[in-house]
Amino acid sequence: MTYAGPRDLLEIDLTRRTWRRTPLGDDVFADALGGVGLAVRLIDERVRGPLDPLGPENPIVVAAGPFASTPVPAANKHALATISPLTGLLNEGLSSSHFSAVLRRCGLAAIVVTGAADAWTTVAVDGDRIRFEDASSLAGRSARDTTKAIREAYGDRSVRVCAIGAAGERGVRFAAVENDGRQAGRGGTGAVFGAKKLKAIVLRGRGDVAIADPEATAAFAKMLRERALGPKTTKYRVLGTSANLRVLQRMGQLPTRNFGAAQFDGAERVTPERARESKETYVELRAGCAGCPVQCEHLYVRKDRDRRRAAASEYESVWAFGPNCGVDDLDAVLDAIGRCDEHGLDTISTGSAIAFAMECAERSLVPHDAFGPELRFGNGAVLLPAIDAIAARRGLGGVLADGVRIAARRIGGGAERFAMHCKGLELPGYEPRALPTYALGLATCTRGACHNRAATYDKDLRDPSSEPDDARRARDAIEAEDRAVAWDSLVLCKFVRDCFEDFDEEGAALWTAVSGVPLDGAGLRAAAQRTWERKRAINARLGWTPDDDVLPPRLFEAIAHGPNAGRRVERERLAALQIEYERQRSVRGARAGATNAEPALRVAQKP
Amino acid sequence: MMRVELFGMARAIAGASHVELAVDGPVDLREFVRALADAVPGLVPDVVAPSRDAFVEPNLLLLDGRRAVRDGERFDRNDNPCVLFLASGG
Repeated sequence: MTYAGPRDLLEIDLTRRTWRRTPLGDDVFADALGGVGLAVRLIDERVRGPLDPLGPENPIVVAAGPFASTPVPAANKHALATISPLTGLLNEGLSSSHFSAVLRRCGLAAIVVTGAADAWTTVAVDGDRIRFEDASSLAGRSARDTTKAIREAYGDRSVRVCAIGAAGERGVRFAAVENDGRQAGRGGTGAVFGAKKLKAIVLRGRGDVAIADPEATAAFAKMLRERALGPKTTKYRVLGTSANLRVLQRMGQLPTRNFGAAQFDGAERVTPERARESKETYVELRAGCAGCPVQCEHLYVRKDRDRRRAAASEYESVWAFGPNCGVDDLDAVLDAIGRCDEHGLDTISTGSAIAFAMECAERSLVPHDAFGPELRFGNGAVLLPAIDAIAARRGLGGVLADGVRIAARRIGGGAERFAMHCKGLELPGYEPRALPTYALGLATCTRGACHNRAATYDKDLRDPSSEPDDARRARDAIEAEDRAVAWDSLVLCKFVRDCFEDFDEEGAALWTAVSGVPLDGAGLRAAAQRTWERKRAINARLGWTPDDDVLPPRLFEAIAHGPNAGRRVERERLAALQIEYERQRSVRGARAGATNAEPALRVAQKP
Repeated sequence: MMRVELFGMARAIAGASHVELAVDGPVDLREFVRALADAVPGLVPDVVAPSRDAFVEPNLLLLDGRRAVRDGERFDRNDNPCVLFLASGG
């Protein structure tokens, strides 16, 4: 069967200022689907050995979700993949909304950018035409301002833009890429844009997006839309992810003060639920991606302030600047999130870097006045100066801008012991010492410490009392990883995950209806596994070995207080789990003719 | 009476952080969910399924916020039941 959707690959060479547009074959879509699967395949073809993530040879791939610009709800999404300057390994992330849809309306399945410009540049895809445009006047501007300026220059509000802010321009290793107010935040893709002097990618396209079976697609889209407006997503529509803060506090699993504790005395004062309940003090605004009925984003601002300063209140962002920095001032936390968006910074890594610096100051490893206001846990006044310094790479901010792994080496004094990262990517806001399967997933995740790729915290949290054996835990971790790849290759928002009765079969049927390429549930699982194998193989070529799958030392120390007092990650137990994980991966990989079977077997044979 | 802690959607709908259920002795999960729906009818259908004997995922019951109820297990007020809610990341 012929793939029905947009199939062109646009290859941009910024050094030579050349471009090439070629159609991808049906076999590519049958093998990799779209989104992350396609992006990883394109990286796999181009990265054949170690490279400098900030060098011109590092490719950036933008790959459309295969359901973008169709009636399928919660599907206007695209993947961004590159080699991360934070981890030195593969980084693949997602963003969403109008940009994703217009990418396909330009007739594109993916864009690959290589090389580096010698001055700030935007790449414009204007229907069939490709232009390299001078972006020197946009330097230093936020992604939002950049988008506004480009639209004014085009005289066309339908133009869609993904851009970096000042942090990406200055090579902050956890700089984000933003489009339509959404961010591909983790892993520093924004810094790779900056190293290429690529300020933005501009899209304008109005082409039709063909669907293989419009009737079947429309029927499925209608069903999914109805489910997405029902009780399965009420939690996201009414509360958003920030409701997790109170829950994790109650369970004693809320990382606090750079993972120094697992409960936060100020949790109640900093939860965005409190802002929602304080209608006399706060205004709540709602937002969401194009074509999504859930509209999950909840933004808050005090009533006496400009509504344009309303900040998104996702759990991870609130956690990073709240409990993890010991700050119990909700306004300071919301301001910090907003400031990260202005500079184009990942909120998790930024908050983690500041929490790390607070602990360094507490241990007299860095000056208390490095950012002006006292650098200490609980001082909300230091958040904005610290964020500004990181974005500007000024003073201690310049050290933190490389992420906590590199910063700890430079600061010395044993700071590595409390630098909370896996393979260089800072930890998100779940306490691994109380979540053993999640701890395994963090250690093995190809991206580093990513809660969306190693989403096993969900299983641990649902029944913290269960003690499955190692084989079960390893299988849970593998299935969570592969399930994430399947979602991210189709690409559907994970917030509609509960709207499917049998995701593998229904997702495959939807793919078949939209693309015309036959797929069943087993085929979807196999495609996900192939992509995971490619991720591991890319990392192996970049120098990864199983010895890199480690957790930060602090997680081997016991939680001191709260319901989980005494719990820690046990080295021997984790090692046994990793061996079992690799054994199962090897078996699956061998069945699939995996390229990474050798390192997996090596770790499986460890004593 | 059984005092129950509420989180997430259950709290938002009930408009309170706790609710008292009119149950005397130990109950199993189904009996608990029914009593909860009787106490706060608005929890149906977003937190409690229309059948009134099960939670809508991802709402769940943990005892003392630490462990799930086992099949057939009966529990009482001393187990500090919490109706929790998990919003997985996306």
